[in-house]
Amino acid sequence: MEILVSIAVLGMTYALVAAGIVLVYKASRVVNFAHGEIAIVCGYLFYSAGRLWPAEGFFPAFATTLLFSLACGVVIYLVLMRRLLGEPTFVAAMVTIALAIIFKAAIVVVWRSSNLGIPMGRQILLLYPDGGALRLIDLVTLATGALCFIGLGVFFRYARLGRQFRGAAENALLASQRQVDINLILSLAWAAAVFAAAIAGVLFGSRSMLSPQSTILGLSGLTAAMVGGLDSLRGALLGGFLVAGAIYLTARLIDPALSEAVPFIILLAVMAWKPWGLFGTREELDRV
Amino acid sequence: MKLFTHLLTGAGLALAVSLSAGAGSAEDIKIGYVTDLSGPLAGSYTPTWEGFELYMKAANDAGGFNGNKVSISLDDDGLRADRAVAAAKKQFEQEGVVGIFGLSLSSTQGPVLTETRKAGVPVATSFSAILDALPPAQPYTYSTGVVFEVAGEAIGHLAQRIVPNGKVVGMTFDSVGGRAAMRHNMEIARKLGYSWDEVIFPIRTSDFTPFAQTAAGMKPDIVVGHYGAGQNVGMIPALRAAGYMGPYIIASYGASEVTAEEAATLAGSPDNIYMVSRYVPGTADAPGLAALKAAAEKYGVSDPNSMHVTGWVLGMLAGAALEKCGADCTRDKLDAALASAEIDTQGLTGGPITMTAGDHYGPTYWGLYKWDGEQLVQEGDWLRRDAIEIPLQQ
Repeated sequence: MEILVSIAVLGMTYALVAAGIVLVYKASRVVNFAHGEIAIVCGYLFYSAGRLWPAEGFFPAFATTLLFSLACGVVIYLVLMRRLLGEPTFVAAMVTIALAIIFKAAIVVVWRSSNLGIPMGRQILLLYPDGGALRLIDLVTLATGALCFIGLGVFFRYARLGRQFRGAAENALLASQRQVDINLILSLAWAAAVFAAAIAGVLFGSRSMLSPQSTILGLSGLTAAMVGGLDSLRGALLGGFLVAGAIYLTARLIDPALSEAVPFIILLAVMAWKPWGLFGTREELDRV
Repeated sequence: MKLFTHLLTGAGLALAVSLSAGAGSAEDIKIGYVTDLSGPLAGSYTPTWEGFELYMKAANDAGGFNGNKVSISLDDDGLRADRAVAAAKKQFEQEGVVGIFGLSLSSTQGPVLTETRKAGVPVATSFSAILDALPPAQPYTYSTGVVFEVAGEAIGHLAQRIVPNGKVVGMTFDSVGGRAAMRHNMEIARKLGYSWDEVIFPIRTSDFTPFAQTAAGMKPDIVVGHYGAGQNVGMIPALRAAGYMGPYIIASYGASEVTAEEAATLAGSPDNIYMVSRYVPGTADAPGLAALKAAAEKYGVSDPNSMHVTGWVLGMLAGAALEKCGADCTRDKLDAALASAEIDTQGLTGGPITMTAGDHYGPTYWGLYKWDGEQLVQEGDWLRRDAIEIPLQQ
């Protein structure tokens, strides 16, 4: 039971990170290598805002992080990515690497590389008979992740803007000829992606800890996205659980020291079998 | 593309840290300091640097050494050996420093020490240390820090004060230093009649849950964490959530009372958290802390902790050697002064720091501390270690 819950919780965190990567990739064909750094910076921001207004509880910290993440996504698109439309995708990818360096530098400069944990939801709800405990943050992570994925699914299927997003993702030129505001769609994609990263960063920091090392969360999310398919939200969800399961089961049943390598072995196996990922669109690979 | 170039330049500038403590003048004694101010362990090395800098600022305020003030060339290695070597070479080739202090993780020290020995530049390291300083000591190489093998053995002995028998579970990440500390801890534990089990996890781990669950499943009577501050902050709450509520020892490889406090807060309980340390915490009743606290207040460093103490004691060693070195201090004179240094740390360590020609580390003293919910409180006397007890692995 303990292992299953742990896999589900970490899997959902990875899936949220992967979802952000997928949203940006779907909309603009850019792989965002700064996603882990953005997630952890948002986690640090949540922590600091919580310390700034300790009496007010969770909401001011949440509001600060929400506003920052949405603004950050829009600014990244409008200031940087919009100018790179039409340029080779590797240029945009390189810009995201530069962004990753800047966000990591912010952790050093603003938070002095501190190792911090967000003191939220850590209370124990239930003790398992075979050892270990279910904590509130475990349930919050699962519920938040489920809400996000359901919300995104409903948005893309039923909302007008969501349908426009799908149209723009499939053929931007055709969509713009049909009066779809591409800049609005892409700003929205970046804002939603950074918001998903922020949620993942806050949940991760509440369950584990925040440190410069924690930015590796982005690599786990990218692996999950690639396993599931870079343009598939359903794939992001499955990829998250596969990567988390591989890490946990290797750590618990085989050798903890190998746990870091196993997700990449799975990634290589999936790439060899289906280079576009388990749920990815084959033609997407050709466009890259 | 132009935008991209600007971005990369900006990022590079943001990371490039090359500072100097105090403006230089013709009479200054120039020393170098290289450490990790932006890498994964910057959280531990930064307060150590601050402690060292505070000592030198206080010494300069008091007139310096032999009438000369000290200027420090500071470089950030980002925990990378190539950057550490480049910084050290810049300092001794271009800036003419008489000695280099600090350095970061043991893995970055070897390449730097190879170069400094060739150039005849004395180096004294802070909280990380390698065997080179132990007898038979390598030339120009000194340390006031933690040699993993020595620390592992000290922890093995001090654990007996908490749990007299049973099972010890050692935990570390996959590193040379961590494995060395674990091995020496294990050998002492077995010698004392304990059974032993261990968990080694990847160095870049940031979710500790599966490893904590594995350790808890081993049914330990005591757990020892042989890693840095950050891993302890993650591992202790994860162990508690995995159902292990027994004693846990933080090995002070860059950890301080801040580590214990953060971990206890996140774990939801202050119980059963211990630390083994060479240096006293900032809340200790040690005469030497008054000068550190006064300097910290003057220069705006808040709440000095045991990592600041670590840097301050390295400053005491550097200061004593610079004083002995004379007005026209050279690298060889500084080396000779370091090789015969004997410092009364005024209670900041369990005993004096004593260097000799063949031993550039000296006897060390290890304290067992317990977190009482407010501060680290020492339990029992200091444990003195004169030599490595377990044969080194070839």
